[in-house]
Amino acid sequence: MAYRVAMDIGGTFTDVVCYDERSGRVAAAKAPTTPGDLADGVFAALERAAVDPAEISFFTHGTTQGLNALLERKGARVMLLTSAGVRDVYQIARGNRERMFDLRYRKPVPLVPPSDLAEVGGRYDWRGAELTPLDEDAVWAAARRARSEGFDAVAVCLLFSYVNPEHEIRAGEILAKELGDDVLVVLSHEVAREWREYERTSSAVLEAYTGPVVRRYLSRVEARFAERGLRVPVHVMQSSGGLVNAAYAMRRPLRTLLSGPVGGTMGGVAVARLLDRGNIICVDMGGTSFDVSLVVGGRPDVAVEARIEGFPVLMPVVNLHTIGAGGGSLAYAEAGALRVGPESAGAVPGPACYGRGGTRPTVTDANLVLGRVDPAWFAGGLMTLDAEASRTALAGLADAVGLDTTALAEGVCDVANAKMAQAIRTLTVEHGIEPREFALVAYGGAGPMHAAFIARELGIGQVVVPRFPGAFSAWGMLEADIRRDLTRPYFTSGDDLDPYAMSGALAGLALEALEELAGQGVPRDRMSVEHAVDMRYEGQDYTLTIPLRSAAEPSAPGFAQALAARFADAHTARYGHATPEAPVELVALRTTALGALPRVAAAVPAAVEGAGAVRDVIFNGTAHPTPILRRDTLRGETPGPAVIVEETATTVVPPGCVARADAGGFLIIEVGA
Amino acid sequence: MTDPITTEIIRCALAQAAEDMNTTLIRSSYTPVIYEAKDCAVALLDRDHNVLGQSSGLPIFLGNLEVCTRFTEEEHGRDVWRDGDVWVLNDSYVAGTHLNDVTVYGPIFVAGELAGFAASRAHWLDMGSKDPGGSMDSTTIFQEGLRMGPVKVYASGAPCADLHEVIARNVRFPYATLGDMRAQVSCVLTGQRRLTEIMARWGVDTVHAARDEIFAQTERMERAAIAAIPDGVYRSGGFLDNDGIDLATPLPVNVVVTVAGETIGVDLTDCADQATGPVNCGAAQAVAAARVAYKLLLSPDVPLNGGSFRPLTVATRPGSMLAAESPAACQYYYSHLGLIIDLVVKALAPVLPDRAAAASYGDSLIVQVSGVDPRTGKLYVSQEATVGGWGAWNGGDGESALINNVNGNLRDMPIEVLETLFPIRVTRYEIRPGSGGAGRWRGGDGVIREYEFGADTALSLWFERSVTPAWGLAGGDAGAPPHVTLNPGRPGERAMLKVNALPVRAGDTLRCESGGGGGYASLDEDIHGA
Repeated sequence: MAYRVAMDIGGTFTDVVCYDERSGRVAAAKAPTTPGDLADGVFAALERAAVDPAEISFFTHGTTQGLNALLERKGARVMLLTSAGVRDVYQIARGNRERMFDLRYRKPVPLVPPSDLAEVGGRYDWRGAELTPLDEDAVWAAARRARSEGFDAVAVCLLFSYVNPEHEIRAGEILAKELGDDVLVVLSHEVAREWREYERTSSAVLEAYTGPVVRRYLSRVEARFAERGLRVPVHVMQSSGGLVNAAYAMRRPLRTLLSGPVGGTMGGVAVARLLDRGNIICVDMGGTSFDVSLVVGGRPDVAVEARIEGFPVLMPVVNLHTIGAGGGSLAYAEAGALRVGPESAGAVPGPACYGRGGTRPTVTDANLVLGRVDPAWFAGGLMTLDAEASRTALAGLADAVGLDTTALAEGVCDVANAKMAQAIRTLTVEHGIEPREFALVAYGGAGPMHAAFIARELGIGQVVVPRFPGAFSAWGMLEADIRRDLTRPYFTSGDDLDPYAMSGALAGLALEALEELAGQGVPRDRMSVEHAVDMRYEGQDYTLTIPLRSAAEPSAPGFAQALAARFADAHTARYGHATPEAPVELVALRTTALGALPRVAAAVPAAVEGAGAVRDVIFNGTAHPTPILRRDTLRGETPGPAVIVEETATTVVPPGCVARADAGGFLIIEVGA
Repeated sequence: MTDPITTEIIRCALAQAAEDMNTTLIRSSYTPVIYEAKDCAVALLDRDHNVLGQSSGLPIFLGNLEVCTRFTEEEHGRDVWRDGDVWVLNDSYVAGTHLNDVTVYGPIFVAGELAGFAASRAHWLDMGSKDPGGSMDSTTIFQEGLRMGPVKVYASGAPCADLHEVIARNVRFPYATLGDMRAQVSCVLTGQRRLTEIMARWGVDTVHAARDEIFAQTERMERAAIAAIPDGVYRSGGFLDNDGIDLATPLPVNVVVTVAGETIGVDLTDCADQATGPVNCGAAQAVAAARVAYKLLLSPDVPLNGGSFRPLTVATRPGSMLAAESPAACQYYYSHLGLIIDLVVKALAPVLPDRAAAASYGDSLIVQVSGVDPRTGKLYVSQEATVGGWGAWNGGDGESALINNVNGNLRDMPIEVLETLFPIRVTRYEIRPGSGGAGRWRGGDGVIREYEFGADTALSLWFERSVTPAWGLAGGDAGAPPHVTLNPGRPGERAMLKVNALPVRAGDTLRCESGGGGGYASLDEDIHGA
């Protein structure tokens, strides 16, 4: 019982990171992802890491099984029960157009066709008072149809169930009686206790559509682990950045839908703690996309809703901003202009230098021509790159835009870097924060190659390249805590606030959340709970989540004024203005319970001996003789220019920057102007 | 001349600056009409009023924020611009829109020199018009509320208290209105900061050189798209149902599109004279409608900037309802704009068969309810647009239940939000079956939305496009026109499409049915083909 193991199942590779509690040694390995049954890849990766399941003391992973089912439209067959009269809310999907100039606009195809909708009589008013009773016969009829036609899941979304869930609960009982355990029944108020019927319906449908797939997958993983002697529960990353055990994940599968990429953000949280820096920008650059997320004040930036494949989902999700920029992004000419991305060469044919038939130049080709990629070390030496093919691909474009090949190559990187810097700015603008107050943590195969340039663009002074940058998401999962988020609608104007009722409601939420943690085996002394309230000025829509000191705080004297002031401060920080005299309203209470897990205390291996080669690398149009260094040989400070190579990534240290291998195993680049 | 790398980086930075302005505005606004309906737009302009970057929630605000800065300069001279000043303007005959659309804008100074402008436009919920939220039956602009500008709301960075006081005493919801105005000011400040950063980073001369190249690139792409259309004169015509006052008289709109080489002209002079009712707009908005049609058909993906519309000319006739003059009423300035967009598409459909689609349901179809909420004792206004069917095309059915063409990312009002905020209940919300035009490819369907009023209130309706409902193309059928019934199946049942501040009682019901889209190609053809 000595290994803590985390796994990130990506589109191409499954990464595994193992921490040996006895020696402090951390190791990473990877195996090909097995798209049909991800469990195969999980065990293959475990074998590569040479860990005996019986020796695992803790296991967690991020899985894309549910997401894949959605992307490929291979989810469950779902019946949807709606309130009578409003059956088409899901199909209408609020009627907006995401693209403004498109005469042939089509909405995403709904996951439930109109033929699989069933209307159920029964209605509440806005306060949850019953206007008409639930038509139980209609529910029974739908349940019988679901059974006879072999539906895999039933989603139920009735109007105002977030205020009064009784009708949904009763419908759930009838469905369970008729359908047993084989059919997943999803009640919208359990998925998301928030207003907006379309968004809540969409969330419930997504859970019903992906849930059976996730459940099957988790049962399989658990069974196979048990066969191999694993004696601890399997954990899963949630989209919120917190962990849950598989038993809970099978009850609330939706919360694991975006579990992969958030591992990196949780890694960012750990970096923030280890380096004692509260604010971190996490950038993950791979072959096709660039994901940015934030750690603010030591906490992951978590949004309360997201959109997946065009479908809204109400659940806590680490706020990831993604743009199409990666090593595979294509460079091309348009009306005399140079453009880079978002179209990508993907894995096949891939960049020209892969030698798989690609002829159009990509960002990776540009890096190769500039000497910033070592052809022998790419992907840990698993692939050799054809620099001549890159040069040929770039030369064609260079003619079209009137530049020489080397200048174009640097330009392609500059444009890609500028776009990535802008993506970061977009996310920080939404929060009203300045990027230059942050450190940038770079990971993914291509992140460390571009990070220093992006940082310079934004005036950021420090870049952190973690160990195993290619497997950082898995590493981050080892640093996450068990987490349960609860939300309750709490609609009241600031003037009418009943402080004791609010404290009571928060205490009730805390009790519920802590009980759930106890159910997942978290000991009492490792539990903590946080409270917050969603607020806005009367009439506003977007709310700000304002932290509370405790469940008891509302009943303390002067709370209303303190809360209004805290809200005004947050509004000013975020939007640059506030209206202190305007009435405020409270919309929802949020409670998060955390179960702290033991931290990794990684031993950093001593530097090994090894001399680097020196090669010309282009920076600012000039060839600089640049040492190519293995990361495990670094000691103390390494001034730029330098190229630092390791198994899964290459770090570029431009002239004017200094890289330093710190005691915690991080590579820290101080970015000079 | 800058190198293509710097040019592209500056282009992305300018576009991003406009997006950042839009984010700032939407996230800090106080009223649903901005954050839900996205009834707003922002632009970053150069010192000659050319668009450097624009982000619009509403297509119809495309490329006409600059009329406000330009007009201010024409009135007061170029020396009027001072660092730290922020201006406001909502005059319908300048901006083209109704008074509710208020443009807030300010100059940007870099190293003491005028470098450009940041502008934002947003719909204010109420301007103090004779009826809350706006009237369906106004006959002069003086019934439509507070008309401003160009005037300063901030001078040297400090709020102009006098104007704030005037606004606060003239509108019905001063907190929300002034909150929205502050959101617009924040947005302008964001634009100022971004452009200043961009100028500081690359230098004014480089940015200007890049700008010239960016505009030239865009213009080249636009011209190439136009050159692909056969030269010729293309016509189409349709009707606005009426002006909201004289309900029996349809108002004609005819468009003539002339394609000559790399240029395109849209002639909108052949239309009704300015009307008694509020269906007039300033010329700036008629131009914007032609621009929306142009983008939809020719260059949806080409970046938007000062080069975008150089190959396009638009002709309007002063004194017509598309280039109205004082004191014409302008509250419903947009109904004929949606019609113009569909008509330009129809005119060019024969020569752009791979890009055109049959007509859409046509208009925003407004349901406005106002009164005192018995639950709170406070005045409220609920204003909703209704989604409907879009036109089919060669190879695809039209989408059902989609917002109209002058609107963009407008979302319908959630029933749970509506019932919580206002004393109204929604009892039915469904796709309206069979409302899309038949054809080998079907037009999209409209919706049926039924309301029950929980209190005595004033009901206003603006439903359009019943005289020329969404036409089909290539032999496809037209979509069904809209239909609205008060108290359906009950005593006092009454059909109507437009009405202003009609008193309705608690317990009354209203059924709104929106139009469908036109079909594409006749069904017969399909049968013969099979």
